[in-house]
Amino acid sequence: MRLLLVEDEPEIQSFLQQPLANAGYEVDVAKDGRTAIQLSSGNKYDVLIVDLGLPDQDGIDLILQLRRSGMSSPVLILSARRSVDDRVKGLEQGGDDYLTKPFALAELLARLRNLLRRNLASSEEATRLRVLDLELDFISRKASRGEEVLNLSPQEFVLLTYLCRHAGRVVTRSMLLSEVWGMRIQPNTNVVDVHIYRLRGKVDTEGREPLITTLRGIGYVLKDR
Amino acid sequence: MSSKTANPVMRSAAWRISLWATLAFAIGIMLVFVMLHRFVANDIQRRSDAWLIGEVAVLGDVAGRTPKDRLYGRVVGEVAELASREVPNKLRSNSNENDSVFFLQTGDDGTLKLWVGAGDGLPNLAAIRARKFISDVPYDLNVRGFNHPFRVASVRLDDGSHIYLGLSERDELRVLNNLRFRFFCFWLLIVLFGSAIVFFVTRRMLGHVRKITEAASRIGQSDLSSRVPTSKRNDEVGHLALTLNHMLDRIESSVHQLHTITESLAHDIRSPLTAIRGKLEILLSGDLKIEPSEQIVSAIDELDRLSEFLNTSLDVAEANADALRLSRTNVDLDELVRIMIDLYEPSLSEKGLRVNLRSAGPVTVLADAALLHRVIANLLDNELNHVPASCTVSITLAATEESATLVLEDDGPGFSSEISVHVFKQRVKGKDSKGHGLGLAFVEAVVRAHGGSVTASNRPEGGAWLSITWPHDIQEKIEASQSLTLVDN
Repeated sequence: MRLLLVEDEPEIQSFLQQPLANAGYEVDVAKDGRTAIQLSSGNKYDVLIVDLGLPDQDGIDLILQLRRSGMSSPVLILSARRSVDDRVKGLEQGGDDYLTKPFALAELLARLRNLLRRNLASSEEATRLRVLDLELDFISRKASRGEEVLNLSPQEFVLLTYLCRHAGRVVTRSMLLSEVWGMRIQPNTNVVDVHIYRLRGKVDTEGREPLITTLRGIGYVLKDR
Repeated sequence: MSSKTANPVMRSAAWRISLWATLAFAIGIMLVFVMLHRFVANDIQRRSDAWLIGEVAVLGDVAGRTPKDRLYGRVVGEVAELASREVPNKLRSNSNENDSVFFLQTGDDGTLKLWVGAGDGLPNLAAIRARKFISDVPYDLNVRGFNHPFRVASVRLDDGSHIYLGLSERDELRVLNNLRFRFFCFWLLIVLFGSAIVFFVTRRMLGHVRKITEAASRIGQSDLSSRVPTSKRNDEVGHLALTLNHMLDRIESSVHQLHTITESLAHDIRSPLTAIRGKLEILLSGDLKIEPSEQIVSAIDELDRLSEFLNTSLDVAEANADALRLSRTNVDLDELVRIMIDLYEPSLSEKGLRVNLRSAGPVTVLADAALLHRVIANLLDNELNHVPASCTVSITLAATEESATLVLEDDGPGFSSEISVHVFKQRVKGKDSKGHGLGLAFVEAVVRAHGGSVTASNRPEGGAWLSITWPHDIQEKIEASQSLTLVDN
């Protein structure tokens, strides 16, 4: 996986480079828009991380410029602005994602994987999904574990679906909030945890191997092996 | 610099304005006078021409009838003398000699036959002879020895002789000269007077502008409290001063907000930062009794809370300074509250709280969806954090023609008396609250930025009561207020 990191701040550059390499990305770094255009014209990147505050141009203009020149890879936008403006929202609808600083590394990695997956297999729409002995049926909207049918509320089914689709990967609280509930909020209470806790009570019943694990300070993982 | 300040008057706008105004004024008056002068001159000439033509005809008649004997010269001369006394312009020269009129008769051979007037008439004859054309209408004739031209009319008699009657234009020119001189004096007076008035009026006007400029330049980073002088007059300069002062009010309030927020941020950030630092130091010391991941996780949690707090503080500050950028869309409050309740219900019931929603269907408001989400989340967070177990939280949605109302009430302890007046102020929180005291400040700031209002109180039967009113026609309201200001301007 080739990744282009367009970021001018050296701290963020060095902070991201090693973990991205560890996560299996081949990282090129551009410190401004001009370098980014040069690099992306000579290479094919699978995913881009673009900071909005570049020294020579606006990050969104850069993305639009790259898009016009035929670049179709997904972009993860990093923004130091808190209120995300309409243009970023527009890009988000176009399949890209954004993250506001300060962000958690796990969140960044999770969203990157999410983007790549969305890009690779966005058309893949199965009627069933299996993770180990957990099975989701999207037609009857029923979930079962082994032989036992789980008694889930519609909301819990959506939540479990999201976890299963990202099985084996970290899912953060804010990802769940934006993907399952459709809102970008950061509640200062444990609302998401309680949902997961309830879901775990139904999925990981006594005597079964627990599938949903909490990574404290980061999020959750649904085990896939 | 010294050359620039050498003549401040010449550089002032008042000077330039009065210069141009004076120029336009002077040229205008001059044009009017030129037209008037031409009219007067033409009229005087027309009158004297009419007199000349009449007189020359009479003289021709007399000369024709009078027998050509010895007395001829005397008779005609007498008549000419009489005629010259009736000159239309009454002004006479100082000398007794009548030099304003001449009568001249030439024979058919062109020699001088009869002369009445000053001098011997030879220069006049020479001047008449020098003319190439003989015209029936009166014409101007310059005669050597006379300072002023004559207006001459002629008539041809049957015997081939010519009679010329000349009228000096001296009086006419004197009248016109007089007119021009007087006009010039008046013109000079009026122009000087007018330019002086324009200069002083504009200087007074612009002096006010200069005072505003001076006052504005005094308003520096340290001193934002002083204001430019305002005048009572309701003119453009008065408006400028008022607008500037309004602008300064807003700037001062923004800066004040910024100061407050910086101070409170510094205050609120220090202790969590110290805690995080401490945790990391303990980790570094390698104390094996402490579970390292536990410390790291709690440090990360602290950091998350810190950044959320930072964001909210800045949002509140921006909203209070009217700098919050809203991207408004139609949001169904009913749907939003249902999703929110769905999200919060497990946590609420975990705490032993019941929640119920009373809503009569979709309630659409024009709002920034992301901010509205956070507003509702903040309210529910508040309930979750501050209401004790086995209480009920009720949300009521209602819509009228003008506004949508969301009422949130609970049967908990309500707002404590010490904070109830200030619940919407930043950093106001109950004694036992662990929050930053930003929740309701944020709610209020966002709602106000949308043109709505929030009221909070304690219910008579106990518990908190909070009502948010959201105008439907926010857009129209904004436009209306803008058009009002335009009309006002």
